Amino acid sequence: MTNVPISRLRNFCIIAHIDHGKSTLADRLLQDTGTVSSRDMQEQFLDNMDLERERGITIKLQAARMNYKADDGEEYVLNLIDTPGHVDFSYEVSRSLQACEGALLVVDASQGVEAQTLANVYLALENDLEIIPVLNKVDLPGADPEKIKNEIESIIGLDTSKAISCSAKTGVGIPEILQAVVDRIPSPADNADQATKALIFDSYYDPYRGVIVYFRIMSGGISKKDKVLLMASKKSYELDEIGVMAPDQVKVNSLHAGEVGYLAASIKAVADARVGDTITLQDRPAEEALPGYTEAKPMVFCGLFPTDADQYPDLREALDKLQLSDAALKYEPETSSAMGFGFRCGFLGLLHMEIVQERLEREYDLDLIVTAPSVIYKVKMINGEVVMIDNPATLPDPQKRETIEEPYVRMEIYAPNDYNGTLMGLCQDRRGDFIDMKYITTDRVTLIYEIPLAEVVTDFFDQMKSRTKGYASMEYHLIGYRENDLVRLDVLINSERADPLTTIVHKDNAYGVGKGLVEKLKELIPKQQFKIPLQASIGSRIIASEGISALRKDVLSKCYGGDISRKKKLLKKQAKGKKRMKSMGKVDVPQEAFMAVLKLNND
Amino acid sequence: MIAPPRSAYLHIPFCHKRCFYCDFSIIPLGDSAQAPGSPGITSIASYLDLLHREISIAPKGPALSTIYLGGGTPSLLKKNEVGDLLKNLQRKFGFQDGAEISMEVDPATFFENDLKGYIEIGINRFSLGGQSFDDSTLASIGRKHNRSQLIEACNWVNNLFKKGMLRSWSLDLIQNLPGLNLSKWLNELEQAVQTEAPHLSIYDLTIEPDTVFGRRHEKGKLNIPIESEAQKIDLETNRFLISKGFSRYEISSYSLPGHASRHNRVYWSGSGWWAFGMGATSAPWGERFSRPRTIAGYKKWIDEQKSQLLEKTLSNDKSKPMPLDELLMIGLRRREGIHFEELAKNVGWTQKECDKNLELLEKFWLNSLNEGTLLRNNGRYFLSNPKGMQISNQVLIQMFLWWDSLDLD
Repeated sequence: MTNVPISRLRNFCIIAHIDHGKSTLADRLLQDTGTVSSRDMQEQFLDNMDLERERGITIKLQAARMNYKADDGEEYVLNLIDTPGHVDFSYEVSRSLQACEGALLVVDASQGVEAQTLANVYLALENDLEIIPVLNKVDLPGADPEKIKNEIESIIGLDTSKAISCSAKTGVGIPEILQAVVDRIPSPADNADQATKALIFDSYYDPYRGVIVYFRIMSGGISKKDKVLLMASKKSYELDEIGVMAPDQVKVNSLHAGEVGYLAASIKAVADARVGDTITLQDRPAEEALPGYTEAKPMVFCGLFPTDADQYPDLREALDKLQLSDAALKYEPETSSAMGFGFRCGFLGLLHMEIVQERLEREYDLDLIVTAPSVIYKVKMINGEVVMIDNPATLPDPQKRETIEEPYVRMEIYAPNDYNGTLMGLCQDRRGDFIDMKYITTDRVTLIYEIPLAEVVTDFFDQMKSRTKGYASMEYHLIGYRENDLVRLDVLINSERADPLTTIVHKDNAYGVGKGLVEKLKELIPKQQFKIPLQASIGSRIIASEGISALRKDVLSKCYGGDISRKKKLLKKQAKGKKRMKSMGKVDVPQEAFMAVLKLNND
Repeated sequence: MIAPPRSAYLHIPFCHKRCFYCDFSIIPLGDSAQAPGSPGITSIASYLDLLHREISIAPKGPALSTIYLGGGTPSLLKKNEVGDLLKNLQRKFGFQDGAEISMEVDPATFFENDLKGYIEIGINRFSLGGQSFDDSTLASIGRKHNRSQLIEACNWVNNLFKKGMLRSWSLDLIQNLPGLNLSKWLNELEQAVQTEAPHLSIYDLTIEPDTVFGRRHEKGKLNIPIESEAQKIDLETNRFLISKGFSRYEISSYSLPGHASRHNRVYWSGSGWWAFGMGATSAPWGERFSRPRTIAGYKKWIDEQKSQLLEKTLSNDKSKPMPLDELLMIGLRRREGIHFEELAKNVGWTQKECDKNLELLEKFWLNSLNEGTLLRNNGRYFLSNPKGMQISNQVLIQMFLWWDSLDLD
């Protein structure tokens, strides 16, 4: 491993919107510095979870160390720290930015700045990072680098006179980027003589070595023989190994201030070495930890139930295992008379929820029923007690409660101004309070709303995208709780209350949601042998009802020459479909029905 | 020990053309199939050659009591061609006294004399592929014949029947074709009854992928009756035919007393049958086997099977019986349904297994038993008519869910 003085170290990250080419650019940098040979190059090297590659987004952070011979003839070490590109993971982004001195701001030269990018740029500016604007995809016919430069200047106020035009696809501009990293990003502060503080910016669970922790040493140093202390979790460990990511893990004996590396110390779960925690030495501990550490706070909750009750122990085991590698995942057992045994799970956001659900189904082969996402409500009881409710079905009766508060977010939406009307309509429908509208360029605006989180975790994002042909982007953060006139809306299937379909809605919308919900359920629940009443109620008052008529005819009669194999196959396929439904009372309810409340506005 | 088969099916795959709903294993020959010297004649000759080879290499078995020539359009064959096939079968197995020998015939492919010829060489039951009495319907499903040709054919067959030259005959109709509604259908049924056919096969239209109808249906361009109309059609069919003295002895077959098809009953009883010909399904010992569905595949298969088949004896030590789920599935098509314990014990279940698993099955069938779609009487289970027959799939799906839930070796 090349060792260089701290003056020739550079730590940087890439800030970019989804699709603006961050992963391709990262791949290029690894290739051009010879860190990864073209032969070993898997497309999008840094995104190595299947799910990430399929969705083209980065969920888990990674880092890579590159050796680069600069124009001055000296060898430099460049550490690229990847950042996740989704609003669910903004805490992780802030930590990885803290580990860097500079950032490449990558903007698609034909599309311009997007909301999420902007949120991250502001985070980077707060952290005093040197920002190098990079205009990517200049090879595309629609590219207009000059226009986008103006946009960056007017929105962010960055000097773009030295912005680099590049195409990660063709390789144009890559050498310039590498040289700019050396020239413009400062080397880390030389704090090697101070007490050791290293910032954890990522960790993952390795079944053989325990948790692998990625860190940046802010001051002091760590050697292989040290005993380390994690200041937030207050746990200490003997080190099994330390090393650097080149990008494969390479063991080293020691690392110093400014350097980026990994350690393995038989740590059992990522929750014990959370992103943001500070590593110090057991026998010479730092006086205080690095600032900015926060506990993972789940924002979105849902129920997970196995379709087959026998899979409950398997589900618990799978969640236990997932939690080893996902510190933000929270869960506790939930029992419902309608659904049997399952878990109430908390997630950072909708994407996080989908990822966990997909991993459970794919990696652990479980058939799950997932209930519609909910947020956490603050309920003040008549007796003065305050309870937090993350499951709508457990909302106390109106006689017992005084007020309900729900979480609000401040949301910024970026879009071409043609879509102002439709976007404002959407925010209005979702109970948003208009705060501001700003023109960022002559034809692009930012809309600012304060809006209940519960309205955002439905199909808000999909609606925003479809109403703007994909041009709008959004960013939001929690701003606190507000009291609203909320009610619990129950659904009765065949006159039995279906807990997992219970939702909390604003009183003014209750009638419309109730009506829409039973109509949607009528579509989604297959006909059965008997008539089934579907009702929506608030308390004991029925506010909407529908009925699923009985199945009238379902027969495949032709079995020519005794050949029943095809008919058998068809029936078995239908039986398999039924197995994936949850039997509630006498009625088979398919998974889609549990998400019906999210799909009310689609028609 | 499973009794050796006493039934045989012969597949004659030739047709003038493929009907729009059809996905059977057939070979369309065009309009000139029956003209002397047409290329179709050569195809027929070489196929019959393969069919004869398959019969001759089959293992021996006891005398047959039912024989069925299906297609395709068997009436594209000449009297002597059918005769040779029957002779070959008879040499191999022998025929029982009074064996039922059925043949499918399509209107517009024969004259009265041809039927007499078939009777001379041994056919004693015809099944006439009528499908509909409505000219525009017939044209819209790709049939070659029209209404008057169908009525003429019915008259010819029925005359032979009345003269005592035929044991019985059957007319096929397809229910729920595009454009059909209840009143049009009742008109069809009225005409069907007027033909005096003592047996009617009423098939529900099944939309198969890779057919003309399948493609139209996918595009939403097939105007088939909606579920509630289809239900009425089925109810009225049942009511009307019962009022005319017919009995629904199987989910898609109605007959006057004494005219149920013996061969048809074999399929649903779980007894075995031989089958010969391209695409044909046999189940001599219960377990089903389907032959390749193309002529080239069929030829290759015969070449490969030749030696192997010859070595096969009548012993069924190695052959598997039909699995219980299939026995239940087919048995429930019949008016008398199934006797669970009898079937289960035949496939080797102990009394304990029977009791335990039947209790489970009844749980899966609880809704159907409560709703009266499935009836229970002295150990027998059967679909009620018409309520249960109409939603038989639901009862079968529950049965398969039960079957999949069992921990069987």
